[in-house]
Amino acid sequence: MWSTSTHIAVGDLLVVWLTRDMIQSLVVTPGADFNSRFGNYRHADFVGLPYGSKVRPRTGTGFIHLLRPTPELWTLALPHRTQILYLADIAFITSWLDIRPGAIVVEAGTGSGSFTHSVARTVGSAGKVHSYEFHEARASKARYKFSRRGMANIVSLTHRNVCMDGFTVAGTAGAVFLDLPAPWEAVEHAKTALRNDRAGRICCFSPCIEQVLRTVSALNESGFTDITMYETLLRPHEVNQVPALPSVSSISAKLKDAARVREEKRLIQIATARTRHAEKRKREEDADELEPKKVKTDADAGARAEDVEMPGAAVRETAAEAGAAAGEADPGDAPPAMQIVSKVVQEVRGHTSYLTFARLLPSAHAAPSQ
Amino acid sequence: MSEPPNGQSSSTLTAPPPIINAIRTGDNVLLRLPTGDVRNFKLEADATINLGKFGSFHVSELVGHPYGLTHEIVEKKLRVVLPKSIEELEDTEATNELINDGKYVQPLTADEIESLKQSGVHASDIIKKQIEMHANYSLKTEYSKDKYKKRKEAKYSKSFTTIEPTLFNVCEYWFKKDQNRIRDLRIDSLSQMLNLANIQPHGRYLAVDDASGMVVSAILERLGGNGRLLTICDVESPPAYPVMTQMNFPKELVTPILSSLNWATADDDYTPITILEPSASGGALSDKAKVRVNKRKAASDILSGTREELFAGGFDGLIVASEYDPFSILERLSPYLNGSANIVVHSPHLQTVSDLQTTLRLRPQYLAPSVSESFLRRYQVLPGRTHPTMTTTGSGGYIMHTIKV
Repeated sequence: MWSTSTHIAVGDLLVVWLTRDMIQSLVVTPGADFNSRFGNYRHADFVGLPYGSKVRPRTGTGFIHLLRPTPELWTLALPHRTQILYLADIAFITSWLDIRPGAIVVEAGTGSGSFTHSVARTVGSAGKVHSYEFHEARASKARYKFSRRGMANIVSLTHRNVCMDGFTVAGTAGAVFLDLPAPWEAVEHAKTALRNDRAGRICCFSPCIEQVLRTVSALNESGFTDITMYETLLRPHEVNQVPALPSVSSISAKLKDAARVREEKRLIQIATARTRHAEKRKREEDADELEPKKVKTDADAGARAEDVEMPGAAVRETAAEAGAAAGEADPGDAPPAMQIVSKVVQEVRGHTSYLTFARLLPSAHAAPSQ
Repeated sequence: MSEPPNGQSSSTLTAPPPIINAIRTGDNVLLRLPTGDVRNFKLEADATINLGKFGSFHVSELVGHPYGLTHEIVEKKLRVVLPKSIEELEDTEATNELINDGKYVQPLTADEIESLKQSGVHASDIIKKQIEMHANYSLKTEYSKDKYKKRKEAKYSKSFTTIEPTLFNVCEYWFKKDQNRIRDLRIDSLSQMLNLANIQPHGRYLAVDDASGMVVSAILERLGGNGRLLTICDVESPPAYPVMTQMNFPKELVTPILSSLNWATADDDYTPITILEPSASGGALSDKAKVRVNKRKAASDILSGTREELFAGGFDGLIVASEYDPFSILERLSPYLNGSANIVVHSPHLQTVSDLQTTLRLRPQYLAPSVSESFLRRYQVLPGRTHPTMTTTGSGGYIMHTIKV
C-alpha cells in the first residue's frame, strides 16, 4: 500500500521526522516546498534519496529525516497526536481477532483510519477490510485517502449506519471490530457478517463500563460465547544517565563532623563567655580604681578571640578529608561514576477504551453443523 | 477423515494461506480440560487420546471438526456440547449469615459418588443429586450457588474444549506453561512488536529468537507464506523452534521463506569447509559415497546462498528476543537493514533495554530509540459480577524500538 522501493520517488508518501514531537507527512511533489523551523526544502531534492536519509536544507542550519511510512508513523503524523496511544489497543485487537494475511475483516466506524491502515497492512493484498462510516463527509475523505494510498484493492469503504442498516457482507468475515457509540445495536448485524465454518471473532471498543455491560448482554443474547474484556496500555519509559548515588556512609561522616564542629563552637562560646564574664567583673572592680586600663584589656580580648577561631578551621579541613575517605567524590577528583535509570514518563494515558471480545462458534449459527 | 474445504491444493506463493478450518490428523491440538488446565496432544492416526479421569477417545472422533468447540466424551465417542450463554442471576435476600464452616452438610459420601460415576450416571445428574442432599444449599446466595455448580462441573464433567491454534492462544499457552522459555513475551508485548516492526506479507525480516520460536512463529504467521525470514541462532544446525509445533503451519508456508544462520556462519570472515568434488579425490566412488558427497554439496550450497543473501542486505526490519547483549546483535545485523527499517528489541529486564537505549542514543544511525512496557488487565464480565480478574501476570517484558537511518 506504500512504496516498498529503497529509494524515494515522485508521488511517494513520506513521513518527515523533525523531532520526537514533530512528525509530519507529505506526498513528494516536484515544485512544492517543505518549510519548517528546521529549514526550507524542495521536494524535488528528495527524489532519488534512499529512505531513512538525513537531509539538510540548501541554506541555513537544521536537518530532517525522511522515513518510509508505516501505519504507526503515519498515525504519529496525524494532527491529533493522542492516537498513537492506540498502538497497544490496535496490536492487541489484531492478535485476539486472529487477523492475518488473507483475512476478511469488518470495521465500523472508520474514524481517522488508524485501525484501517494497520489492519490493511496485516491482511495484505490477499485479504480485505470492509470499513463502514456513518458520517458522510468523513467517509468520502477516508475513501479518497485510501484510494490515493493505493489501498483501494484491500479496503472497501461504505457510507452507512451499520446499527440501522447492517453490513454489506454476509457469512464471510473472520473478524468484526466495532468502534461505535452503541456497539450493542450492531451486534446482531455482526453475527450475520461473520462466517459460519469456523469460530468468528468480535471486538467492541468502548470507553465506558456501562457501554461494556450493554454490549455484553447483546453479545450473550446473540449467541456469542467466551465473552471477555481487556484493558491494555503502552507505558513509555524515560531513560536517564545520572551520577551514581552516594552511599549514606558519606552522609553519616558529614553529619558527625557537623556535630563535632558544633560541639567545638559551643565549647569556644562557653570559654569566651566565661572570659568575657570574668573580664567584665574585673573591669567593674577596676573601674572603681583605675579608668585608663580599659583600652588595653579590649585589645587583649580581641587577640584571644582570633586565637579561638583557629581550632574551628582546622576541624573543617579534617571534615573534608574524612568525607573523601568515606567515598564522597570531590569535584577535583575523577568524574563520578554514572548509572542508567529509567521510570515511566510522568504524564501517561491512563485509559483508552475497554476491549470487549467474544467468539461466535460455528454451532451458534442458526443450524448446528453436526 | 474429510479434507478441510480449503485444502492445500493451491500452492502458488501469492495465494492466501489456507485458514485452518478443521482439525487434521497430525495436528498438535491444545485441549482445555474442565479444570482449566491446557494440554497439548499430537493427533497421530489411529491413536487414542487419554485424558485421565476425564475419559479417552479415538483421534478419528476429533478430526474434521472445527477448532474451538467443546466435546463431551460419552463411551469413548465425542458429542459436541452447545456453548452456554451467561445466565443472569437474581439478587435474593440470602446471605451467609447462617452458614458456618465445618458443619456436616453433604450426606452423599465420596464412595457413593464414585459408584454413581462408575454406573455411568451423567455428571449433571450427580451434581443435581448433590444439590438435593446438600443441607445448606437453599441458604446460599445465587452467586454462591452458581460457583458451587461450576466447581462440581469442573470435577465430574467428562469434556474438553479444543483451542484454536491462533498466535494469541499459542502465546498464552506458552506464557502460562513456562514464561521463561519464551522470555516473558506476553501476547500484548508480542503484538506491539509485530506492529512496531511493521511485519507484513512480502516483507523481508531478520530475527534473533532465543524465545523458543515465539517470535519466529509470530513473524511467519504475519508473512502468510510470502516474504522472507532469516534467523540467526546460537547453535550449529538450524534450531528446532518448539513453539512452532502448536501453530500447525503447513510446511509449504514455512520452508520456502524461513532460513537460519548461526553467529559463526553469519560472520563475513567465516570460511566454509570446502567440499571435495568426487573427481578431485581420484578414482571412482561408490554410489553411496556419491550420494553422501552430493548431499554435503547441496547443504553447503544452501548455506552459502543464505550467507550471500544476508550480506546483500536490504532487510526491512530486525526483531530481537535474545539472551545475548542486544547491542552486539544490532552492531552485527543493522548493516544489512534498509534505511528506515524498524528495529525492535524485547527483554524481560528493563535494565537491558534501557542500557541499550543509552548506547544507541549516542549513535546517529539509530533514530529516536525509545523504551516502553505494556500494561494488560483482564476482566471477568458477568451480569452484576464485572471486575478485574483477581490474579494477573506481572510483566510482559520491555521493548526498545528505533528506526535505522
